[in-house]
Amino acid sequence: MNGAFRIRLAAAWIEIRENLGRSTLQALGIMLGVASVLGGFSISDSQRRRADELFAKLGGFDKLNVMSSEAVKDGKPSALQTANLGLRFLDAEEGEDQKGSVVEAVSVTRNARSRVRSATADQERMVNGIGRDYLDLDGYTIREGRAISNEDFQRANAVAVLGDEAAKTFFPEGNAVGKTMKVGDIPVTVIGVLEERVFRFRKGQNNIFRRRNRIIAVPATLVSRRMQGDAYQRLDRVTFRVPKMEAMADFAKDLDGMLRANHRGQQDFRLDDVAARIRRQRSQGDVYNMIFMLSGVLALFGGGLVNVNIQMAALKERVREVGVKMAIGAGGKEIFKEFMTEALLLTGLGGLGGLLLGVGFSATITGVLGVPLYMAPISFVSAFLMAAVFGLLFALYPAFKASRLSPMEALRYE
Amino acid sequence: MNVIEASQITKTYGSNGTAVHALRGVDLTVGRGEFVALIGPSGSGKSTLMAVLGCLDSPTSGRYMLDGEYVEKLSASRLARIRNEKIGFVFQSYNLLPKASILRNIELPMLYAGVSSKERRERGMELLEKVGIPDKAKALPNQLSGGQRQRVAIARALANRPALLLADEPTGALDSKTGAEVLELFGELNRQGNAVILVTHDPSIAARASRQVEIRDGLIAQPEARPHEPLAA
Ligand SMILES: Nc1ncnc2c1ncn2[C@@H]1O[C@H](COP(=O)(O)OP(=O)(O)O)[C@@H](O)[C@H]1O
Ligand SMILES: [Mg+2]
Repeated sequence: MNGAFRIRLAAAWIEIRENLGRSTLQALGIMLGVASVLGGFSISDSQRRRADELFAKLGGFDKLNVMSSEAVKDGKPSALQTANLGLRFLDAEEGEDQKGSVVEAVSVTRNARSRVRSATADQERMVNGIGRDYLDLDGYTIREGRAISNEDFQRANAVAVLGDEAAKTFFPEGNAVGKTMKVGDIPVTVIGVLEERVFRFRKGQNNIFRRRNRIIAVPATLVSRRMQGDAYQRLDRVTFRVPKMEAMADFAKDLDGMLRANHRGQQDFRLDDVAARIRRQRSQGDVYNMIFMLSGVLALFGGGLVNVNIQMAALKERVREVGVKMAIGAGGKEIFKEFMTEALLLTGLGGLGGLLLGVGFSATITGVLGVPLYMAPISFVSAFLMAAVFGLLFALYPAFKASRLSPMEALRYE
Repeated sequence: MNVIEASQITKTYGSNGTAVHALRGVDLTVGRGEFVALIGPSGSGKSTLMAVLGCLDSPTSGRYMLDGEYVEKLSASRLARIRNEKIGFVFQSYNLLPKASILRNIELPMLYAGVSSKERRERGMELLEKVGIPDKAKALPNQLSGGQRQRVAIARALANRPALLLADEPTGALDSKTGAEVLELFGELNRQGNAVILVTHDPSIAARASRQVEIRDGLIAQPEARPHEPLAA
């Protein structure tokens, strides 16, 4: 290309520099457009990133929950229903076996409300009967002592693991591990205390893990056998971790079939594919992205129209220059390229300025919202590309006009 | 072969009611290496003829062969090519690009011709030397005197070694001394073999050319016939 583009670029730069006022005005339209698109994108990027962090802290979203639900909506349950109602530990085990290869972990829960007493406190509390990988799947970590083991679970040992708040409430003097508390009438030994969990979606918001710090976890078998005397060992919830996302749908289908068979055709359970649920929520987020993009597009459109006007006015001052260039041999194509090169440079500079402005803009907004700022690289790319498209699109008309000037008339133009 | 063979060239501006017949059937032949002075009163059509000869404008009718090629019907982009390769323009008002350096101004026709940057630079410097201002390469046009600017314009016109130099009142904006120097430069270029057509209304300037062509009311007036003939009505 014998440096022709480089020279056009240099000439364009001179042109822009020499007409700073006009150029700034033109770049401003692009800049504001890019900034608003980028700002919009990064707000949703940041929210999304925050949501990802939340789910990571909740133990990931590669999970399938099975919840018990009432099969009987109205009226009295039939004998069959009374006999079979509910999710059982058997279901969890069979579910795990069913696709042994895709299930990485499984957890079970059976909750009960009970009076809980220690030397210093006496409260009506929710007691979480848990089993297997519950703590891990729900994102808990042990701070002191140990977790509830399989043996504890099998034997329905009277042991408990306390959340941070529960430990502080019932054993304010500390060192809860090894101490005893009463759950209902059962004396239970504290074997572990959990790390405090804190997550605020935005600064200044409540800790949304507050309730999780209140956990009083005992073996699920302790709840069902000893506290509730339930021969069926029914559960409130079973959770499977299936890290292979693509295997989830099949697994859920098979599990559904199996559970139905186990439950004699009764739909007394409900499946909740966490990842799918999040995807659904995200597609709502995409709507906001579209709205942000649209408002950015409108800004760019407005800026573009202004640019056409400015450029057409500027063309009047440059008719003679075009005439001279044509006289020494520049064809319409060359003139067109020169004008487009200017637009390219202006758009590029305006776009870069817009990205900077957009970062500031995003930082301010996320600051006000109290969400940590996160900007995805793709957002930069797409905001910039949009500007480029608009900048160049709206430069076409003036450039075309310039390229079609007749050399003689252009030379005579005063 | 001749550089220019034009026959029955007409040029009409506007249409019908407001039509201006700037050229009304011009025949002109210019040989290689000739130095032609085009004279005539203001408004007689000199600039219009130069524009047609320089392919800046197409004639309304007539045939025009430039350097062996009929050009009156060519497309705008072909004409741009021809202006670039075969014609060097020098205008009264210099018409340099004010924001480009002198060297860049001179390089521009070569750039449009696709000449490599190294060669552009070399030839540009050569040309600056040739027109006598080798030290002005980096200057901007407004840092030069009128005579120097016209020298730059001449250097630019010579950049692609054109078959024809067209100068429309090149000394019109210069004082008589610098004007004479610029004319001297044209004379020298002609002696080196360049065909030159130079518009002027100064008879003493015209006298330096190898041939004078007078134009009146859009027609060539034969110089020898002129004194005997009354002006065309
Ligand atoms: N673009 C144009 N539109 C209309 N009339 C024009 C145009 N250019 C030149 N003319 C007319 O054509 C005639 C010749 O003009 P021109 O060639 O500039 O004469 P000169 O250069 O000899 O002074 C004049 O009457 C002028 O007014
Ligand atoms: Mg004239």
